[in-house]
Amino acid sequence: METLSTRADRSDHAFRDNDSAQRALVAELKERLATAALGGPAKSRERHVARGKLLPRERVDQLLDVGSPFLEIAPLAANGVYGDEAPGAGVVAGIGLVHGRPVLVISNDATVKGGTYFPLTVKKHLRAQEIAFENRLPCIYLVDSGGAYLPMQDEVFPDRDHFGRIFFNQARMSAARIPQIASVMGSCTAGGAYVPAMSDQTVIVRNQGTIFLGGPPLVKAAIGEIVTAEELGGGDLHARVSGVVDHLADDDEHALEIVRDIVATLPKPAEPAWDVIETRDPAVTDGLYGVVPTDVQSPYDVREVIARLVDASEFAEFKSEYGTTLVTGFARLHGHPIGIVANNGVLFSESALKGAHFIELCDQRGIPLLFLQNISGFMVGREAEAQGIARNGAKMVTAVATTRVPKLTVVIGGSFGAGNYSMCGRAYDPRFLWMWPASRVSVMGGPQAASVLSTIRREQIEGRGDEWSAADEAAFSAPIRDQYETQGSPYYSTARLWDDGIIDPADTRTILGLALDVVAAVPLPDPAFGLFRM
Amino acid sequence: MFTSVLVANRGEIACRVLETLRALGIRSVAVYSDADAAAKHVGMADVAVRIGPASAAMSYLNIDAIIAAAKREGVEAIHPGYGFLSENADFARACANAGIVFVGPDALAIDIMGDKIRAKEHVAQRGVSVTPGAGSAGMSDAELIAAAKTVGVPLIIKPSAGGGGKGMTVVEDLEDLPAALVATRRVALGAFGDDTLLLERYVSEPRHIEVQVLADAHGAVIHLGERECSLQRRHQKIIEEAPSPLLSAEQRRRMGEAACEVARSVDYRGAGTVEFLVSAAAPDEFFFMEMNTRLQVEHPVTELVTGLDLVEQQLRIAAGEPLGIAQSDIILTGHAIEARLYSEDPARGFLPSTGTVLHLEQPSGVRVDSSLFEGQVITADYDPMLAKIIAHGADRDEAIRLLDAALADTVVLGVRTNVAFLRSLLADEEVRAGRLDTGLIARREGDILKPVDPHDFLVAAALFVHGVQAGSPWQRADGWRLGAHRPSRYSFRLDADTAVDACVSNSGVGDDTVTVGDTDPQGARLRQQNQRAHRLELDGTTTTLTIAEHLGHIWIAANGTTWDGQLRDRAAQLADHRATLTRVAGAANPDIRSPMPGTVVAVEAATGDSVGIGQLLVTIEAMKMEHKMLASLAGVVTIDVHPGDLVALDQVVASISPHEGAAA
Repeated sequence: METLSTRADRSDHAFRDNDSAQRALVAELKERLATAALGGPAKSRERHVARGKLLPRERVDQLLDVGSPFLEIAPLAANGVYGDEAPGAGVVAGIGLVHGRPVLVISNDATVKGGTYFPLTVKKHLRAQEIAFENRLPCIYLVDSGGAYLPMQDEVFPDRDHFGRIFFNQARMSAARIPQIASVMGSCTAGGAYVPAMSDQTVIVRNQGTIFLGGPPLVKAAIGEIVTAEELGGGDLHARVSGVVDHLADDDEHALEIVRDIVATLPKPAEPAWDVIETRDPAVTDGLYGVVPTDVQSPYDVREVIARLVDASEFAEFKSEYGTTLVTGFARLHGHPIGIVANNGVLFSESALKGAHFIELCDQRGIPLLFLQNISGFMVGREAEAQGIARNGAKMVTAVATTRVPKLTVVIGGSFGAGNYSMCGRAYDPRFLWMWPASRVSVMGGPQAASVLSTIRREQIEGRGDEWSAADEAAFSAPIRDQYETQGSPYYSTARLWDDGIIDPADTRTILGLALDVVAAVPLPDPAFGLFRM
Repeated sequence: MFTSVLVANRGEIACRVLETLRALGIRSVAVYSDADAAAKHVGMADVAVRIGPASAAMSYLNIDAIIAAAKREGVEAIHPGYGFLSENADFARACANAGIVFVGPDALAIDIMGDKIRAKEHVAQRGVSVTPGAGSAGMSDAELIAAAKTVGVPLIIKPSAGGGGKGMTVVEDLEDLPAALVATRRVALGAFGDDTLLLERYVSEPRHIEVQVLADAHGAVIHLGERECSLQRRHQKIIEEAPSPLLSAEQRRRMGEAACEVARSVDYRGAGTVEFLVSAAAPDEFFFMEMNTRLQVEHPVTELVTGLDLVEQQLRIAAGEPLGIAQSDIILTGHAIEARLYSEDPARGFLPSTGTVLHLEQPSGVRVDSSLFEGQVITADYDPMLAKIIAHGADRDEAIRLLDAALADTVVLGVRTNVAFLRSLLADEEVRAGRLDTGLIARREGDILKPVDPHDFLVAAALFVHGVQAGSPWQRADGWRLGAHRPSRYSFRLDADTAVDACVSNSGVGDDTVTVGDTDPQGARLRQQNQRAHRLELDGTTTTLTIAEHLGHIWIAANGTTWDGQLRDRAAQLADHRATLTRVAGAANPDIRSPMPGTVVAVEAATGDSVGIGQLLVTIEAMKMEHKMLASLAGVVTIDVHPGDLVALDQVVASISPHEGAAA
């Protein structure tokens, strides 16, 4: 097997420019993560802590094993949305270890609008549940939420993927023997009351957690009964009288320890679906920032990235002489076998055929796939169309969509047009999808979109016999370019849960290792590809 | 000479005697209790015989079992070591009746010297000076109190049958005498089966100087010079040396002659030690205290300065050989000093400590008399002395320097020891200057006992348990996050009242950062050298550490200092945390716990009794001390233990329900 090496030259200007540009982007990412991690406004946090409650991230840390990694999902959700009033969309979600086994934790942030559910809170909660469902991870809900965010009820309550889906998922996961555990550590009102009620096992914190379908104000309005929250749905009531909860805790720490005790009673997860060997460090370890340009237009050899991701930098490349704009090959990553599909230029018919073939190979062998996306799209033009690029592209899309093996996607550069689809974009259900800080995602590039739209516009104007000045065209194009610039940003994407998070490129190997351990614990289904048009 | 000898002892002295037997080509037979089945002396002997369960009364003090073992193995002689049956006249008689040579004097000599009152009267008749004293078998407390007036204060109460400091009590004021007599009688009865007490004047600034004598069966008596054993704690010797820095040659000669006279007075045979009390202020005057009719713990210092093997001499004498050496042959060369290594916790009032020896390093270049081995379980069944380290130098300064260096190289992990205390004691300027007396340690204990600064040890312990693993990123336990990594927090319990947190964090590059308690974070790295040896890089310096772990208990040795802490698991932390949630009436703990494993000897209150703060509830005897369990607050007591019960460390022996509204 070939050991990849690097051609990086640290004295090279481009290397140094890339390095400092990437570092600046990573610094910005860490800064934004740190800000979002604070949660709600300082006053709310102080009030929360003064009540003897742990902050949502402290709850997660306390729940997990000492030193456990926490693979957080979409920590920058709702970034720049709702006037930035809902950092992280008001909920912390991710995967960590409890008694050495990975579990999915969803922890409401009551310092953000009382932990109520904005539309993106719902989306993040559902995405976290989807991850749990696909990877058979026990779910732990640390509930501290007032329920739906009432001003936006139309975007939260009624639709298929709205609030009700949370409980639907709980019931279906429970049916699939995926444990559902809740700890009520604050309010749990109205629909929210179903989170603990729908769980397999539930804990409540005395004099702190409350569960009721209608809170005291609603009860007074509806039936004129005057009652305190604790009397109506406090820990003692639910633990001793109603039986809604199973365990009564003295405080947050105690509740979290009970949850850990519950996890300790769960049956063991499945053995890995493929053989996992001892991990080895890559032979090429540093210089990642220097070899990857931050400008998605600049070409570079994606093998420089692969060399820094895979064990011992060993890469068994497949069809290296054919369809060279797509790099495919086998490697190990933290001991897991992995099939890598990585862009090295625009996709041609040959590259698409090679991609489809390689995905079939991995499917045959039960090897998970890693897509490294940096794609401006499929080749256009008469020659390409005549070769049937639509048909060949469709083969790759079919392969991606219907393979039985788990897929992981990292957008390391551009993600444009149908390239996004063939390279396992969000619509193709990769088990996880992450973006690098310099990446871009949109149907096409901003300048291309402006150019396409202004060509159509010019044809309309000139078709009427009018003239369109260069100044008018520039005024027409600028907002289009601006729109694509804004919407193509990974921060725009991650705010809307188009991905599972923006990551420091230097963390990619670690994150993929964490993810592979998670996805490996689900047995592979039988192969069942769709029809490949010949 | 004998061809086969049984050693009726255990621990380092059994090993010591067995070494000489091996050197002389004599077949050796060891005996052992169930607790000692894996002990070092068992493996050193040619044959080892089980003589009973752990309890000394049923094994090492069991005369019938030992005689039976000796008969079974057909030995000609029994060496009793020290302690146990070494000064038991019944045992000497039993040996004689069985036709086995007892390596020691006649039963009569043991009888006379074993009764301290009689011994003093006996030697006083031969012109040897003694301290004023009173007491004899059958004297009541009232009679002793009356006699105390003639003895004068300060006085010391001693169990007549005792030894080794056990049960001795100093009384400064005659008013305290009645209570002290009651307690001492109980100890004497429990420990020696004889509650006869004697009173003696307590010499101020006393120095304990003893003379080694050898006497053969043909009337020859010589002395091998003296040992000074003034460094004692609660009458327990800690450091002994030869010769005494106090004595002139003339004083040595006079004291030696007096010792020989004492030996002659009982037709002594074998190796014996005559103990004298000397006032530091007036070294010309010495008082006979007692004669130990056996080999002493501290005999090696005499061996090093005289070049003689005392065990060999004992065996030759017992075999009837005449002494091959005359007094004029005895030349003292250089200076020897011995330190006793005890399993005890100086920071916890020198309470005996128990545990399993996880790691052991014994020094080289000095004499080490030890029965220690890795894996050894140190229990409370026997004396807490583990080993003796003995250095021999050209002069006293050199001997002390060598001993200190040897102690610095001594590492025992798994059980708390007094090594650091010994080093600190040796560094004391009074000790260095030779200005010793038996009260020195008690007087200067506060200065000598230097608390260990736990900071660097906690850094090392945290990094040790953190031990980021290579492997799956889930297993690395590095607190990885997308953003700032989560520090791993470890909580260590240092003692009953102190727990300290140490947080390890890593940004993903370079050294870990460790934060101990509320001190500033420091970059640190721990590199493993081999199974136990590690190097800690901290604050620009690198220290070599030895680290061992057993059931979450971390032991670290560095530069002659040992630290240990219990990593608190989540359950323990939660229990402590929850205890803070519910307020108990008053600040005092209503549970009274045993400070160490031991035996309940007296229960002074009954369940349901109303007790006041400080009231005596239970007395626990462990090793050589009685521990009084007092009421921590006023209330109604519940006591679940009975006299004779064995109690574990920290076992609740009594608990108190506070009186309604009572202030603690």
